[in-house]
Amino acid sequence: MRAREPDVAGTVVAGDGVRIAYETFGSGDPTLVLLPSAPIVHSRQWKGQVAYLSRHHRVIAYDGRGNGRSDRPTEAQSYAGDQLVEDTRAVMDATATERAVLVGLCGDAVWPAIQFAARWPDQALGIVAFAVGVPLLTPPHPWRVQYGFHDVLETDEGWAKLNEHYWRRDYPGFVRFFFGELTSEPHSTKVLEDIVGWALDGSVDAMVAEGSVENPWTLEAVEAVCRDVRCPLLIVHGTNDHCQPVARAHRLAELTGGRLVIVDGADHLIPARHPVLANLLIHDFVRSLPEGPSA
Amino acid sequence: MVDTLRAPERRATTRAREQSRARYPDRTGFVERPGGRIAYEVYGSGDPPIVFVPPWQIVHSRVWKAQIPDVARRHLAVAWDNLGNGGSDRPLDPAVHTTLARAANLEAVMDAAGLARAVLVGVSSSSGPMVVLASQQPDRVRGLVFVCPAAPIGATGRSAAVSFDEALPNDEGWNKENIHFWRRDYRAYLEHFFAEAFPESHSTKQIDDGVGWGLETDPETLGATKRTPPTVDAAGFAAMCASILAPALVIQGTHDRITHESQGAGLAAAIPGARLERIDGGGHLAHARHPIRVNLLIRDFLQQLSRGDTNARPRA
Repeated sequence: MRAREPDVAGTVVAGDGVRIAYETFGSGDPTLVLLPSAPIVHSRQWKGQVAYLSRHHRVIAYDGRGNGRSDRPTEAQSYAGDQLVEDTRAVMDATATERAVLVGLCGDAVWPAIQFAARWPDQALGIVAFAVGVPLLTPPHPWRVQYGFHDVLETDEGWAKLNEHYWRRDYPGFVRFFFGELTSEPHSTKVLEDIVGWALDGSVDAMVAEGSVENPWTLEAVEAVCRDVRCPLLIVHGTNDHCQPVARAHRLAELTGGRLVIVDGADHLIPARHPVLANLLIHDFVRSLPEGPSA
Repeated sequence: MVDTLRAPERRATTRAREQSRARYPDRTGFVERPGGRIAYEVYGSGDPPIVFVPPWQIVHSRVWKAQIPDVARRHLAVAWDNLGNGGSDRPLDPAVHTTLARAANLEAVMDAAGLARAVLVGVSSSSGPMVVLASQQPDRVRGLVFVCPAAPIGATGRSAAVSFDEALPNDEGWNKENIHFWRRDYRAYLEHFFAEAFPESHSTKQIDDGVGWGLETDPETLGATKRTPPTVDAAGFAAMCASILAPALVIQGTHDRITHESQGAGLAAAIPGARLERIDGGGHLAHARHPIRVNLLIRDFLQQLSRGDTNARPRA
């Protein structure tokens, strides 16, 4: 059961033939596109936002390739290069969305949103970046790179579960461990139960494929893309984020001049664990944007 | 520009100060009663006024934290603390806690707040004083809402067979409801109680809150309430229920492990015209765990009262 059912549900075929499923809710300028943290979860990650934001705005949510109702390609190349940025572009085109505010969480959404805004500055009215996942901006948390993803390990303990071979043996074991680490705040049992469920809706083959993509970027190139962003940014990061270091949020704010909100004590999943806080931050940010020509 | 916000709803079971509130009282006061001072709070305005009647002193009036902000948008609402917890005094004399004394305290709080008549909303053992007042002072009670009421009807509650004062051979289950255990590990008792009060999944916040409220009193003060002599027997209670004229709503969780589902059903059957609403899967403190469901049921009940299409019997 949902608090708000979509007004339109559709699919669009991306340039490489992968079908992307999207939904639209409500009306009102500007349109907000909620990017997915895929393929690990799908668009229901925004369940705490859609019902509220769609009272004021047209809201588009879509399942990233690899989870939800979208196709689940199993080759690494399907997740490489500009594919994720192109998926955002394809969904906006399919829904006749000329301009939008892009909202994302973590690496698979924030980084594509930033690349989109740098590439098509007239189409990005603003970016809301939760749990800043921009690669290389700062070193990752040490536990994230403690073990090699492709290595055959002698242990399954802790972050050794972030490993291709373990995933193929016990993907649910990884999902429960990973999101258990990320939901570190008290009273998160519902958030954890939901997000584990969305992850288990997905595909371990898609996850391995995405995990096998080699990062082609250098720090200099990443920073140059961030500096190219012209639209306003709202950057929201928790001090107890065990996935993305809070230093990445500070660095992104320096590079873009965006507004930085640090949430003391919050973990990685602010929109899920603190939906009212997140919704009011998004709503106030969107209202603060300069009036543009109607989309 | 960097803003630092605090993540809301941080764990606060051993609190140095109270959590922030969604709605603060417009005024507060005290009533002098036999046994000590009783604290009350007044919120909002609008008819009919609502009085939240306190249950067992293991909690205090913050147990209504999810109801007060909603009700106070449309009604004057009064919340108060029984002697023994919250802002009220902490007497050690069991005799001040009888059902009849609690009914007299309820009336005294209404007097102090200037309410001739009100809708009474209670949970668990609030039912005793509510039934007494509605039966004996019918002009003062506009309506009754019982959440998971305790009633001497239906199956007995959690610890009916457990001696409170005798030393017990072990601490298992409800044997924790015993003064010797409370003196050893009162907090462990509270954790047990509230885990049983909230059998629903995803209740960690409600359990934390409940343990925190319980820690605001102490084993000796709460122990007095366990030794209170009965003043209303089952037959007397049933007769009072049968005489109630006010419209009544009973909201009952089907997984109530503190009293028992049959007590709510029994109370609804005993009060003429009372309506029973079940919360499927709900535990004892259903209003805290399912606030929107319960608040909407209360809202509908109050709207029906205002429209006059209630279940009230015509006055004889």
